[in-house]
Amino acid sequence: MSKKLKIAIYSGDIPSTVFIERLIAGLSKKHCEIYLFGFIKNKVDYNTSISVFAYKNTKFQKAIYFIKYSFLLLLFKNKEKNSLDKILKKQSKNILLDKVKFYPVLWHQPDIFHIQWAKGLKDWVWVKEFGIKLVLSLRGAHINYSPIADLELADDYRENFPKVDAFHAVSKAIAKEAEKYNASKNKIQVIYSGLSLNEKLNISIKEQKVFNIISIGRAHWIKGYTYAIDASKILKDQGLKFEYTIVGATNNIEFAYQIHDLKLTDEVNLLDKLTYDSVQQLILNADLLLLPSVEEGIANVVLEAMHNKTLVLTTNCGGLSEVIKDGDNGFIVPIRDSSAMAKKILEIAELTDSKKESIIENAFQTIKANHREQQMVDNMLALYKSI
Amino acid sequence: MPNKITEQKTIGIVLSTMPKYSETFFSNKIRGLQNKGFNVILFVDYMSTSDADFGCKVEVAKNFNKGILNRIWYGFSSILSSVFLHPRRSLRLFNLNKRDGVVFKENFKRIILSQFFLKYNLDWLHFGFGMLAVNRENVAAAMKAKMAMSFRGFDLYLSPLKHPDCYKTLFKKDIRYHVLSQEMKTDLMNYKISDNKIQVITPAIDIEFFTAKNHTSTNGGLQLVTVARLHWKKGLEYTLEALAKLKTKGIAFHYTIIGDGTEQERLIFAAHQLGILNNITFTGKLPQAEVKAQLEKASIYIQYSIQEGFCNAVLEAQALGLICVVSNAEGLAENVLDGKTGWVVQKRKPELLAEKIIEIVNLPEDSKQNIRQNAIARIQKEFNLEKQQKEFVHFYKN
Repeated sequence: MSKKLKIAIYSGDIPSTVFIERLIAGLSKKHCEIYLFGFIKNKVDYNTSISVFAYKNTKFQKAIYFIKYSFLLLLFKNKEKNSLDKILKKQSKNILLDKVKFYPVLWHQPDIFHIQWAKGLKDWVWVKEFGIKLVLSLRGAHINYSPIADLELADDYRENFPKVDAFHAVSKAIAKEAEKYNASKNKIQVIYSGLSLNEKLNISIKEQKVFNIISIGRAHWIKGYTYAIDASKILKDQGLKFEYTIVGATNNIEFAYQIHDLKLTDEVNLLDKLTYDSVQQLILNADLLLLPSVEEGIANVVLEAMHNKTLVLTTNCGGLSEVIKDGDNGFIVPIRDSSAMAKKILEIAELTDSKKESIIENAFQTIKANHREQQMVDNMLALYKSI
Repeated sequence: MPNKITEQKTIGIVLSTMPKYSETFFSNKIRGLQNKGFNVILFVDYMSTSDADFGCKVEVAKNFNKGILNRIWYGFSSILSSVFLHPRRSLRLFNLNKRDGVVFKENFKRIILSQFFLKYNLDWLHFGFGMLAVNRENVAAAMKAKMAMSFRGFDLYLSPLKHPDCYKTLFKKDIRYHVLSQEMKTDLMNYKISDNKIQVITPAIDIEFFTAKNHTSTNGGLQLVTVARLHWKKGLEYTLEALAKLKTKGIAFHYTIIGDGTEQERLIFAAHQLGILNNITFTGKLPQAEVKAQLEKASIYIQYSIQEGFCNAVLEAQALGLICVVSNAEGLAENVLDGKTGWVVQKRKPELLAEKIIEIVNLPEDSKQNIRQNAIARIQKEFNLEKQQKEFVHFYKN
């Protein structure tokens, strides 16, 4: 049997996002060892194939952690430690903090260091000096808009992307975007997010008094909620009886004012962030999941809604057109266009039940074909093995 | 402590920080009152060494967030001060708060935090923004001073959404209100505040500094400009959408946004997606003289805000002879008279804004000149500092 591959999945936080955690869990069932570095936000019980080398964000814990790994390196890997110290002296702005972050990685020396967020890449390029292969995931904001407003970041990407051994892109669209920053096309593999399928879910066309629309995601401008609220105004003016709920946007004063100003307080609700399970339940109960974003990598919530057999309307941003074919397995409208959004919602509300059922079924088949968890894990493992 | 009111009236103005020189509203007001013989005391929560000197007494609140030892010391000294220096006022404040249903612990805290007001004998205690008077509703009454407060826009329209019922206690008090526009007055009256308690005093500008040059058109094509913080309430994303429509129609333009703020990434990305990033300059924040120079290079000023109390920048642009297109957000429709001194477009409707800009571009030069002249004349007559100062004197005298 070949030697187990040691893979570090690095997002900075432990636990990470739902989808990254799903990848970690999936990989841990394969013939490999998973290392998690970073700082602990909440305690997680991982299985035995997953080793956590992390600290809580307190001065005391960091100090203990630093002393432990400094000693280990000094005694057993002094040459490597000296090399890393030299690199840090040249590039580091906060040597002590960087040592807390980097020493454990040097000590445990995984075969692959997989960074989830591109903005952190610059800090980790040094791992290549020690024979560790570098993999970078191309996800959302870090690729799509941050380097457009921050030209220094764009320069950093152009300098460091050629040093990456392989890229994982969450969509074809984001892969293309990354090429603008010198990510070599033949090093990029598109691996879609995957879900564990529940085949037993029945299609249920909901009988509700009002058309129930839901959006899920943090209150950030990238999510395009202002367009959705403007569209709600058009829907109200057109006489549609509806309720629109935005989960994760409570206390956002911009949206609250827009709702108040457009006299939509009876129609549009802002809810607080909810647990994963509550969100799934809300998706199940909704007539339509709306993704009004101006940009996305690929929105996992769309995949979840398709899996949960709820109709989806999304803007044509990022990789969403790779998932949704308008009128076939969901609906697509242009970005930044409230009128088109409202018009489409009115059309969807008027669909016959059989049409809705066929679209929902097609959406589920799309998930089954391209977004299974097993597929995602296998493809990711193949990517690791290819470098 | 005797409560003798001297001949010279003393006005305490409460702000969160010292006004910057660029915050013309407050600096004008303070200077104007001093010139008319009022004694002004500023009460601020924070002050830094670089703050402007207005030649008046400044009382800075104790910073209770500076560590536990400071907090204990400040708390202790405030208790001593309330017991030995201002016992009557502190007791009065305690009783008034109690009558409003404030529980003991909170009441005790409020008395400690209010000590920095109590040592002064004031005729008026004037809170500069709505939220500054929240939890201090009875301080003026405890000092036997009259209470005044200004609403500036954000505090009237947005704060109650963030803190529901934040003005519930306040609106029951005997307060003289100052607002910036008739629209704000109407909206304040919806809270059951009577008409005669509210005075509209619009902002004013230095018309000597903002004087129009004799230029009617610019050589560099259609130059558009906005002076605004990069904040969602300024409606800049809608503005960019309107400009994208201009570009689609083949109209060449350049748009300069003067100001900085948290929304820069959002706006740059919007401009990028809308394909107009090359037509836009983000200058960041500029000193007043440079703002003026930038305005003088432009022909149309846009203020397509979502929420706006009144907006000094629009007054300045009009005074400099720019044609102004503004949204109908709150006070803006009084700042610019639609079709007479500029144009007012319904907010959140970028297609309407684009149409209006095209309409203006196609206007004959004499019609544009007419609008400019009307605007300049109105600003000089209605929005000069002298008029504003007189109105404030009137505000405190009645």
